[in-house]
Amino acid sequence: MVPSLGNLTLWLSLLFAIFQFVIFHKKNFYSVLQFNKIAVKGLLFCSLVSFFSLMYCHIVSDFSVINVFQNSHTTKPLLYKISGVWGNHEGSMLLWILVLTIFNYFIFKLYNQKNIIFISKTLETQAIITIGFLLFTILTSNPFDRMITSHTNGLGFNPLLQDPALAIHPPLLYIGYVGFSAAFSFSVAAMSINVEKKIPWHSYMKPFVLAAWIFLSAGIAFGSIWAYYELGWGGWWFWDPVENASFMPWLLGTALVHSLIIVEKRKSLQSWVLLLSILSFLLSVIGTFLVRSGILTSVHTFVLDPARGIYILTFVALLGGYSLILFALKSKNFLNRRYFSFFSREGSILVNNIIMIVVCASVFLGTIYPLLVEVFSNNKISVGEPYFNSLTIPIMMPAILVMGMGPMLSWGKTDVIAILIKSLPSILLAVIISSIFFWVYRSYNMLGLAGIVLAFWIMSNILLTTVQQLIIKNKEVTQENIPKYSSGMIIAHLGIALLILGIAGSSIWQKEKIIRMKVNDETSIHDYNIVFKEISEVMGPNYVALQGNFWVYNNKKNIITKLKPENRFYPVTNNSTTEASIHTNLARDLYVVLGNGDKNEGWIVRIYYNPLVVWIWIGAFTIFLGGLFSMKNNLKKLKRLSI
Amino acid sequence: MKKKILISPIILFFLILLVFFYLLIIDRNPSELPSVLINKKVPTFEAKLLLENKTFKSPGEFENETTIVNFFATWCKPCRDEHPYLKKLSDERGLKIIGINYKDDSKRAIKWLKKLGNPYSYVLIDPNARLGIDWGVYGLPETFIVNSSHVIKYRLVGPITKKNYGAFVLKVKEVER
Repeated sequence: MVPSLGNLTLWLSLLFAIFQFVIFHKKNFYSVLQFNKIAVKGLLFCSLVSFFSLMYCHIVSDFSVINVFQNSHTTKPLLYKISGVWGNHEGSMLLWILVLTIFNYFIFKLYNQKNIIFISKTLETQAIITIGFLLFTILTSNPFDRMITSHTNGLGFNPLLQDPALAIHPPLLYIGYVGFSAAFSFSVAAMSINVEKKIPWHSYMKPFVLAAWIFLSAGIAFGSIWAYYELGWGGWWFWDPVENASFMPWLLGTALVHSLIIVEKRKSLQSWVLLLSILSFLLSVIGTFLVRSGILTSVHTFVLDPARGIYILTFVALLGGYSLILFALKSKNFLNRRYFSFFSREGSILVNNIIMIVVCASVFLGTIYPLLVEVFSNNKISVGEPYFNSLTIPIMMPAILVMGMGPMLSWGKTDVIAILIKSLPSILLAVIISSIFFWVYRSYNMLGLAGIVLAFWIMSNILLTTVQQLIIKNKEVTQENIPKYSSGMIIAHLGIALLILGIAGSSIWQKEKIIRMKVNDETSIHDYNIVFKEISEVMGPNYVALQGNFWVYNNKKNIITKLKPENRFYPVTNNSTTEASIHTNLARDLYVVLGNGDKNEGWIVRIYYNPLVVWIWIGAFTIFLGGLFSMKNNLKKLKRLSI
Repeated sequence: MKKKILISPIILFFLILLVFFYLLIIDRNPSELPSVLINKKVPTFEAKLLLENKTFKSPGEFENETTIVNFFATWCKPCRDEHPYLKKLSDERGLKIIGINYKDDSKRAIKWLKKLGNPYSYVLIDPNARLGIDWGVYGLPETFIVNSSHVIKYRLVGPITKKNYGAFVLKVKEVER
């Protein structure tokens, strides 16, 4: 019953999406206003019902549905039965569609007499995207496909995926990707309508881009947290094609969020922003293509199916072809010849944009390079961490340097010498803090040095500008020349600084030790002594585990913590996972993983000393918070527009 | 001059798409995965046999001939499509094929083999995917070619089909040589 309902509403969603396309395509807007409501709300309703039908099938373990059979099991905890809905290809497409229709509804909510043509065009484009994804789901990956023979239990679910961070990681990412679809549609709409009608399209676009960017940031962060805690490799970023697929739109999104400010304040860079918003969405879809078609293989690879690849690629070709041809023809209307100085706030944002694009292009090249090599030489190679690290880190550094500076500059032209004088205190402060820091860590490395100094450089700038801001506020002086800062920007930039601190610290000073240990063996890492006390068997809710007990002493022979890494075996799905045990403080993580082994030979134990890792998560959370603050301001602006 | 630049995104975009399309359309077989197991000895393991009450020991019972190792299950639809080609390999080419019945119900597997014929010299059971982990299997069916000195030479993810049967036989010949 329920699977059929889900299937029916999936088809109905397609009908509503086509309906939406048709009515918004028609030009006599006023007569069809009532139909609009029906189309948009019908689409939202149907996709909701469809999505929750699948969720219901997963919760009650309806194994007549192939999707449930292949990905679920009766003994799975409820939370993971629910997250199992999007833990597989078909279900995740359904979630994608649901988010798409929710955004569609939000755009519809912006409707008023003034923007009717613009929003109609936007919704028409959104309808095309929705139709594309619905057709893809229905034709190549219908989650409601049934099985002829019935089974009493499912094949189970990868225990690696049973993790709270991973349960919310995909929905956050999809909100990000889909948010860019709104930017795409606004961009297409802005170019399609008559330019004489001055529509502040960028003000419509900005909250959506910001939302996309915030959620994408959070999604990527949760993915990293999962990799760090669950995979047991001691790292948090692996330059895997799937990670890159989310990182590239994030880079473009970062560029977009910044350049939209220029459009808003200075009315320049308009055609650039139009192009960026198209590209961010296209990259999101191409990322999906790379992951789902099996053209590249990665730890995330879903079922390999070339038919899906052909479909998505055709869809990307249509979307990209249409929007980019439109761009080639119409964007000249948005060009203006207002150039600006390098030493101005818009100049620094432009530097940010260029660098983000270059990094994005490098990551893109690295991701598809194995494919290019295969086309031209028949060899199979893979591009790994060394390429990405050695390419992106040096390019990012100037961006970070400018990032500390940029917010201090004012719009328009600024005196170069004045800037240097102005930034002298923060340079001084950054140098002092960094020196103290290195004095504490007593370890020097060029890259680490640069990373840490840059992190403190941003922080010093933020600190000084905040102090300055507060002084101005108290004196209630309104000086023209002193730039204003939004709290969102300050918080987000602080987050980036903390993130850099964490990244630099953990990648430069990480120590790794892989050894075979028997009970009562002793080893040391950094300043810590680790004793393997015992190994015992423990029972979990749906697994049995071998649990090692490691006592950690510091160099004064005081016990700090007892780490208990586990080697879990899930009898139901019959998979095993390693559960790292981590002791975290603000200065470092101690990370112990119990590998294979036995009583006689000893167990393989991997021990990591990861400095400052916790700052990566704190930084990511701060960035998220900063995004939310800016969101508040931008939603206010949007509200004013839609009245 | 400036207007010409505006065309460059679309040109670049289609060039990239061209590469992707080409890769999808050519007979590239994305499932031909470079595996860490390639050129390594077969894993050491023991497994019960499906049809006899015996245990199979690897690598001891891999004899000195080219052997195919095929992971299958009755619940896997592509395995059923692949089955005739496995039969063809064993009947026409006399190849030794070891089947590994992955996460399956043994009764159902026996029935399945009776109905469709049994191309396997040995059928091992892997009810809890231990062998799957040893061999790095992540989707069914998967097929490995092991040479006469027990070294894994080739891995195919996905079924042997009408389309890739010829290529697969060539690979076998290559390994035999």
